[in-house]
Amino acid sequence: MTVTRREMLAATAAALAAPLVAPAPAGAAGAAQAAQAARMAPKFFTAPEFALLDELSDLIIPTDAHSPGARVAGVATFIDFRLSESLDTDQQAKWHSGLAAVDTLSQELHGKAFLQGTPEQRLAVLTKMAAGEKDPKTLAEHFFQQLKGWTVRAYYSSKVGIHADQQYKGNVYQRGDYAGYDAT
Amino acid sequence: MTLVKTPPPLSQEVDLSKTYDAVVVGSGAAGGMAAHVLTEQGMDVLMLEAGKKFDINQIGQELRSMQWPYDHPRRGDAPPGYHSLSFNEYTVRNPPYAKGSTFKHVMSYVGGWGGSDYVKNILVDEKDHPYTGTKYAWVRARLLGGKTNIWGRLALRLSDYDFKGKTHDGYGEDWPIAYADIEPYYDRVDRYLGISGVKENLPHLPDSLFQRPNKLTSAEVKVRESLKKMGRVLTPYRAGVTTDGLKHNKYRSKCYGRGACDRRPGGCDIHAAFDSPTGLIYPSMDTGHLTLRTNSTAHEVLVDKNTGKARGVGFVDTVSGKSLEAKAKVVILAASTLESARLMLLSRSPQYPNGIGNSSGHVGHNFCEHVMGPGVTGLVKEMVGKPPTLDDGRPGGFYIPRFRNLKDKQPDFIRGYGFEGGSGFGIFPGSANGTPGFGAQFKKEVRDHAGAFIGLGAFGEVLARYENYVDLDPDEKDHWGIPTLRFHYQFGDNEKKMCQDMVVAGREMLEAAGIDVIGTDDQILTEGWSIHELGTSRMGTDPKTSVLNQFQQSHDVKNLFVVDGSSHVSASCQNPTWTIMALAWRSCEYLAGEFKKGNL
Repeated sequence: MTVTRREMLAATAAALAAPLVAPAPAGAAGAAQAAQAARMAPKFFTAPEFALLDELSDLIIPTDAHSPGARVAGVATFIDFRLSESLDTDQQAKWHSGLAAVDTLSQELHGKAFLQGTPEQRLAVLTKMAAGEKDPKTLAEHFFQQLKGWTVRAYYSSKVGIHADQQYKGNVYQRGDYAGYDAT
Repeated sequence: MTLVKTPPPLSQEVDLSKTYDAVVVGSGAAGGMAAHVLTEQGMDVLMLEAGKKFDINQIGQELRSMQWPYDHPRRGDAPPGYHSLSFNEYTVRNPPYAKGSTFKHVMSYVGGWGGSDYVKNILVDEKDHPYTGTKYAWVRARLLGGKTNIWGRLALRLSDYDFKGKTHDGYGEDWPIAYADIEPYYDRVDRYLGISGVKENLPHLPDSLFQRPNKLTSAEVKVRESLKKMGRVLTPYRAGVTTDGLKHNKYRSKCYGRGACDRRPGGCDIHAAFDSPTGLIYPSMDTGHLTLRTNSTAHEVLVDKNTGKARGVGFVDTVSGKSLEAKAKVVILAASTLESARLMLLSRSPQYPNGIGNSSGHVGHNFCEHVMGPGVTGLVKEMVGKPPTLDDGRPGGFYIPRFRNLKDKQPDFIRGYGFEGGSGFGIFPGSANGTPGFGAQFKKEVRDHAGAFIGLGAFGEVLARYENYVDLDPDEKDHWGIPTLRFHYQFGDNEKKMCQDMVVAGREMLEAAGIDVIGTDDQILTEGWSIHELGTSRMGTDPKTSVLNQFQQSHDVKNLFVVDGSSHVSASCQNPTWTIMALAWRSCEYLAGEFKKGNL
């Protein structure tokens, strides 16, 4: 890679200036994005599984006034890609069974599949899954750990996570002195 | 910017019919320094490197230091089929760890740091490079420059507390040199390669000739101030990184604080951090006196039957599989502490039935390193909710030098340990994994706490003991049919007691600074984890109990030198790379003088 300083400055400036998708208000716009995500055929998950994963990830890291959430960051798409090429069949099976367990739990609690539930009902299911976070026992509780771990990894390594949410200041040319305090 | 992106042409065809003045086995910190010093003295040097050759453009494409995580399809992970060994695997299994693995490629734990794709061609494939014996996390990098391509950059000097350790506390052996002997060579290494840091005037951690230091975060300043009251020091990371630039080196840029250092298993594609190829080898090639042959795995030091002297090196071309010989008047081993010992043990002949240079029986013994694992994490309350700052735009955070068994005498252990640490914001909020819950509250909590943590991890001296050693496995062979090493190595009671103290002292220091300790780790990591293995061919004045003299010259074979970490008499608790290079400089200067006088 031959990059002059000028090119490098331009490249990093461009990366920072790249328009991030604006925070999406809940409701119509959110639904439109979900529909858009669903239209992109998943590689590993079935379309209903993907829609469920997309919604779950966005409940774990939602859009707020500060920054967009997991859906905008493409968390489900990243997980789907990684699993599609994975050689770990045990792990792949856990995702299928985990997502199924979410619907089973939702059926038990509200008599309907997760995505058929109201926002309050969905929250109740996820809250129950998260209750055993420290010491998971049920299938749904184990799946919550796995789901959250991947959501965290995918979100905070995404463009949205690094720039919009964390507002990371590094990986750009630093003019003059570094930030911080002198030791003496 | 004067950074040169194109190296001098590397020789593809190496003349093996000629006899070189010296052959150097290995191209890391030690081999690179040997090449630098000897070529500067006008000697014709052939360097053999077991691994492949990444030229300056290729290594940049491999490390991709500036790549954003989201621009990598797997966010830095290696493609399917690669596996990095975990602490658990090292703990529950025995070497060879990759034996029977269903993965296509198996790497050491370093691949698992979150960036395995950036080192998959740098670390060895454990499947091709087995070893046996006791549990050991052996990290190896086979390519031009060796482990200097991915090292941690902490560049410290040793002191007479180390060189004269036996005089101080009665344990082990003193080195055959004192600090005054090596000080001028540390100075030369500082000036030639560049080092950043702050002078502290500590007798046990001598200052270098520093370039511009890294700065501290407010939390680190707070701990520094608090430690002063305890008579301890927190100093900015002494990094083997040029922060002001090096006018004499056209291959290296100065550090511009961009901050990729800590989110990868290492590697700096602008070469502000020292690496052997740009720091030492390319400049040596510019002299016209260095010939390089890569993919050349040495398996024997050849001996002249009449004189008993070394006459060259037998090696395998790992591409063609052919066995070849390199002829030289002087043989210099710099293959790493463990590989140099293996090579000496492999070099058995009628004159040297126990391996070359091993009349003492000490080759492979007195093997020592640093013990690590124990550490403390603190939450800096006043940093919660603060806007982000660039805190990982530094080659390292801070270092807390040894404070045990200097003037005091600890009841439970001898020698000491230092802490490496860091704090502040990074590219990835690591605390997210441990923050409970989900939703808007979780997200805000992660954001608010991202820069509020400070962490310390200790590195302690492992005592050199004769009974900790490596030898050759009688049965196991590597991919090229070369017998492998077998480990007989375990931490002892002194290390375990020291590790208990690390946790107590770490907690005490954070609490004294008013920082909440939110986590302690007392788990000792597997032997080998520090990647600071040392001592397998120690120096000394007595040929019965040491392998090398004070110039890293074999007591038995005067034209054989071992200039890497093998020669260290004790491990100290201070990181070894800078000492390896200062010693190699001193020894090679002596070597060149003796060579010119016809004494070798």
